[in-house]
Amino acid sequence: MKTQLYKFLILFTVVALVLSACAQKEKATSTSAPVAPKVTDTLAPKPTEKPTEKPAAGQPTNTSVPPTNTPVPPTATAVPPTPTEAAPAAPKVATFIWTQEFDTLNPLYTNMWFSSITLQLWNCYAWTFDDMNNPVPVLVKEMPSADNGGISADGKTITLKLREDLVWSDGTPLTSEDFMFTYEMTMNISNTVSTQHPYELIEKVETPDKYTVVTTFKDPYAPWMGTLWHGLIPAHILKPVFEEKGNLNEAEWNHKPEVGCGPFVFKEWESGSFARFVANDKYWLGKPKLDEIFMRFVPDDASQIAALTNGEGDLGTFIANSDVPGLEKSGVATLTVFSGYNEGLYFNLGEKGHPALKDQNVRQAIAYALDRASFDKDVLLGLTVPAATDWDNTPWVDPSIQPYPFDPEKAKALLDEAGWVDSNGDGTRDKDGVELVLKYGTTTRAVRKDFQAVAQQQLAEVGIKVDLLNYESDLYFAGYAENGPAARGDLDMFEYSSTANFPDPDVAEWLCAQIPSDAEPSGTNWMYLCDEHLDQLFKLQSTQVDFAARQKTFFEITKYIFDQAYWIGFWQDPDLWAVSKRLTNIKLSGATPFFNIMEWDLVNP
Amino acid sequence: MTRYIIRRLLQAIPLLFLISLVLFVLMQNVSDPLATLSGRTPTRKEDRERLTRQLGLDKPIIVQYLYWLIGNDWTKIDMNGDGVAETPGIRKGVLRGDFGTSMWNRGVPVTKVIAQRLPNTLLLMVVAELLIIIGSFIVGIYSALRQYSLVDNILTATSFIGYSMPIFFTALAAIYIFAVYFKRWGLPSLPTVGMFDPQEGKTTSQVLVHMILPVFSMAFISLASYSRYIRGTMLEAMSQDYVRTAKSKGLPRRQIIFVHALKNACLPIVTVIGLEIPFLLGGAVVTERIFAWPGMGRLFLDHLERGDTPVVMGILMMIAVAVVVFQLITDIAYAWLDPRIRYK
Amino acid sequence: MTESQMDIPLEPSPKIPQLSADEIESPPLTLATLTWRRFRRHKMAIFGVISLVLIVLYAYGGSFFVSEKYANHNDTKIILQYPSAKHPFGTDTIGRDILARTIYGGQISVLIGLTAAILEVVIGVLFGALSGYFGGLIDALLMRFTEAILTIPTIFLLLVMAKYFGGKIPNITFLGRTYSGSVVVIIVIIGLTSWPYLARIVRAEFLSLKENEFVLAARATGTPTWQIIFRHILPNSIAPIVVAATLGVANAITLEAYISFLGLGVRAPTATWGNLLQGAYSYIDKGAYWLWLFPGLLIVLIVLSINFLGDGLRDALDPRSRTV
Repeated sequence: MKTQLYKFLILFTVVALVLSACAQKEKATSTSAPVAPKVTDTLAPKPTEKPTEKPAAGQPTNTSVPPTNTPVPPTATAVPPTPTEAAPAAPKVATFIWTQEFDTLNPLYTNMWFSSITLQLWNCYAWTFDDMNNPVPVLVKEMPSADNGGISADGKTITLKLREDLVWSDGTPLTSEDFMFTYEMTMNISNTVSTQHPYELIEKVETPDKYTVVTTFKDPYAPWMGTLWHGLIPAHILKPVFEEKGNLNEAEWNHKPEVGCGPFVFKEWESGSFARFVANDKYWLGKPKLDEIFMRFVPDDASQIAALTNGEGDLGTFIANSDVPGLEKSGVATLTVFSGYNEGLYFNLGEKGHPALKDQNVRQAIAYALDRASFDKDVLLGLTVPAATDWDNTPWVDPSIQPYPFDPEKAKALLDEAGWVDSNGDGTRDKDGVELVLKYGTTTRAVRKDFQAVAQQQLAEVGIKVDLLNYESDLYFAGYAENGPAARGDLDMFEYSSTANFPDPDVAEWLCAQIPSDAEPSGTNWMYLCDEHLDQLFKLQSTQVDFAARQKTFFEITKYIFDQAYWIGFWQDPDLWAVSKRLTNIKLSGATPFFNIMEWDLVNP
Repeated sequence: MTRYIIRRLLQAIPLLFLISLVLFVLMQNVSDPLATLSGRTPTRKEDRERLTRQLGLDKPIIVQYLYWLIGNDWTKIDMNGDGVAETPGIRKGVLRGDFGTSMWNRGVPVTKVIAQRLPNTLLLMVVAELLIIIGSFIVGIYSALRQYSLVDNILTATSFIGYSMPIFFTALAAIYIFAVYFKRWGLPSLPTVGMFDPQEGKTTSQVLVHMILPVFSMAFISLASYSRYIRGTMLEAMSQDYVRTAKSKGLPRRQIIFVHALKNACLPIVTVIGLEIPFLLGGAVVTERIFAWPGMGRLFLDHLERGDTPVVMGILMMIAVAVVVFQLITDIAYAWLDPRIRYK
Repeated sequence: MTESQMDIPLEPSPKIPQLSADEIESPPLTLATLTWRRFRRHKMAIFGVISLVLIVLYAYGGSFFVSEKYANHNDTKIILQYPSAKHPFGTDTIGRDILARTIYGGQISVLIGLTAAILEVVIGVLFGALSGYFGGLIDALLMRFTEAILTIPTIFLLLVMAKYFGGKIPNITFLGRTYSGSVVVIIVIIGLTSWPYLARIVRAEFLSLKENEFVLAARATGTPTWQIIFRHILPNSIAPIVVAATLGVANAITLEAYISFLGLGVRAPTATWGNLLQGAYSYIDKGAYWLWLFPGLLIVLIVLSINFLGDGLRDALDPRSRTV
């Protein structure tokens, strides 16, 4: 009996070792690579890049970087160690590590970021934005503007002239009929699309010929460039489905979009594991250099980092600041890309909010009392800086605005001036019998919880007591009807990372009309703020199609919000991408990250 | 016996209704599926209004439950928001086999969502369970026969430590040792993420290798507790009179252990294992999370977090039905194995 | 036994108890003494008790040496420091001392374990006793309800309930300290999901005990029903209840760790050993082992001690064991 047990154990161990040895294939990535240079400054509006990744634009050969080199100067064409002209033995497959799996691949049905950016691989936007946030035409011959007649004089009509060589991946020509079909399906009441914006503002869409699309808005709509035509659906495939079933909700194409119009074509998607996209040789902007893109789904950040450091992945995103040093040590570079997000604090200025918050001095005092700069430097490892407004790093923010500095004495002075003093000696200020105790809520993300603890301590030093509350993200962002705590006004201060309609600055949450109530439970103005002056400015900007005029309005808006301290910025929240040394020619844009994916290439595949 | 079976099945029906109703009500308040639609910002006002109407979320809970149960193709819904119900519904309801479509993967039938993940879970759990059963029998019998010997004491101590460790501790320790440290020491390391290496494809050997660490983590804990249990029942069986009789009759030791004692010691184990089988369908939430195994546990967690009621209800009802069925099977097996038990 | 002792004449050295022939097998001891004697022989159980006492002392006694203000004090300049003389367990992601956090976290973990177990025992015994004693329709209804809870996998039920109640209860201020409302939530949901197991055992005990003659006698003398249940039958079935309660504490602590690990457990700002682990998971690869090692070890230790204790109690209280 004893010997049997021992035999069993030995056998088990041997089998385990043998199996793992057989299956193991260590990729020869640079685990001994030199430490890559740290990400350069993040204040500039342009996303920064590593010098090693400067694209060799237009050149057919790849700039292969041998692992022991120091950063290659931008224009060098280093001699590749192996001849690249020889027929490639293995296909060039880049592996992306996604921490969330797509919910659906139909552009109309998804709001999920991971799904939307995947659209840039196999579907087509009418135009994309490059890394300087300039529009790049994809489906149109040139960007519509007032000069070329693309935008009408009254600003309501946008005319698109399509290229004539557009084809779907199965060879069918892509024409204005697909645009019309996309519009109709978005607005059809039987389709449970995720958003109808901005198509609900369109009065009519006309297609006078196969290559012209004329869109007429009900009112001049300034944000059209950032919101229109984010993906098309093929009329020749889905029209029959719609006619048969009355809606597109259960179409098979939603999960197996084998017909697409992007640089890559969908190949397969295995739920919970991976998805594959292969190069589209019919792509009119040129066949991509990569042969295949493999997307792997992992459950959380930790597995993503593990996969990247082990060399099992080439691209990852939403890297936490604390992971950056570890990644750089294993030779994975980090790129900082601004997509308009800034983490900050909103105040509840409605009836249910604490009365102290209605006073501008109190809000400013809170701003002065919080040492955001130190937190960003110590805990976020200096990879970001405090945000002044939610429009930081865009051309829309007044450049003279600097974030409130850390000045607890000034905070105390402001609070005293506002009449909040500690009259009963319990350490917390009060006025007219009301204690200055604020409910501060956010989600359960670790970095937010950390900041809350630090903030609680710093606010206690100036005499403000804070109650910390944390919610699961779907509960936190729930609407008024579903008892979301912020929407219902149950919190005094609530923190999250927000953006406008990047790259467009338009946002709805400051409007009086968006205040939620029983009659209007879907409103997004959770601050319960109704400031007439601000309301007017916002309404004005959305009609100003002229850039200069709109910018002027936004300078006023951002200065006003800053002075009133309606929103306090904690840190700028750029997207951190991790890119392995194997991928070259990468340029990432904040709005459409994969805009140049056909240029991407692999070295040492 | 047949009457007993029929009676049990009939009793199970109101049970299932009760469970489904309670769970459905709980799910309604769990979270808001329209909060962000998996996006990064809260849903726009107009879209939220429209989707609430289209997905039938504006109806009272009882009506939503009714639609879930018997469908809505016998009534009309108001799809275009003018207050007048004009579009006929298309759902058939659970009682006719239609579990609805997921609210998160909008449009995909629930059965398809579950069917994609179920085989992965079964693979992991069944293999782990077999390992646990075989392993715990070996260890338990050995421990019982060599009670209080050195090996028994070591095994007992290890068992205690084993089932005192929470699963994530075991899993993380396993990852640390077999993946991180093995690699540092230059030994072949075991993979820790997913079901197979994407570069290699979904081959049998890949899946087997990737299964090693998750199965080991789960098996370690359950093996610890089951082997203790078997040890206990074996000890009890070995101290019975009939074993003493068999010994005095001079029967070979092997026959006494395996034919007489073990058969009787087995009985309670059969019950325990039989009752646990339906829960294998639920996968192991924490293990799958740590090892990124695409199984039912992760499916449940992901869809629960997004308030996707149809999928969560589908998973729970599937497990509930399996539990009822397996409880019945276990009781029958028990009666068959133990002639002293009789059901009326 | 008293009669036979009276027959024996007084002899020198009365300390040595003189046992008559009848008493050699079963000496005159109460249940408690008997249990204690058997328990004492169980080395591992004694070890379990000692280490349990030590851990509880660490958690509750430690708060005399380390103030709560110190435990919550964060300083972003000293984040993620290795264990050192000043911070024996190192510091966490915002510079809080982990030793202090485990002390205060331990208080909550132990509190959750105990309270959830008490809740579980109260509900389980109630259901089991009523069901076992009355039988019939009450039995059928209560048992169906019990089965309903057992049919749903525990962790699923816990997750659903955690999400349902999460965020609904505000922070509680008790004795000058603020606790997150989620502590109450966790206690309630663990208690509400663990009782079926105990209810079935108690029911089985009651079913067999209620046929005994002392019950018949009690009924014949007109004892009210509740007295029969709680004063007569229940004390006789105390053994499995005690064991289940003990193991229930360990179970509750483990479950709390699981849900906190998945992010749905006790919320900040209250610390427990479980949610200290949650924040630490993403630091596995970075080598900040002290973030999860110490809370993890403490959980393993306390669960281990309770398991030893429970095992010892089970053996000691086992009526079929005939040794002293």
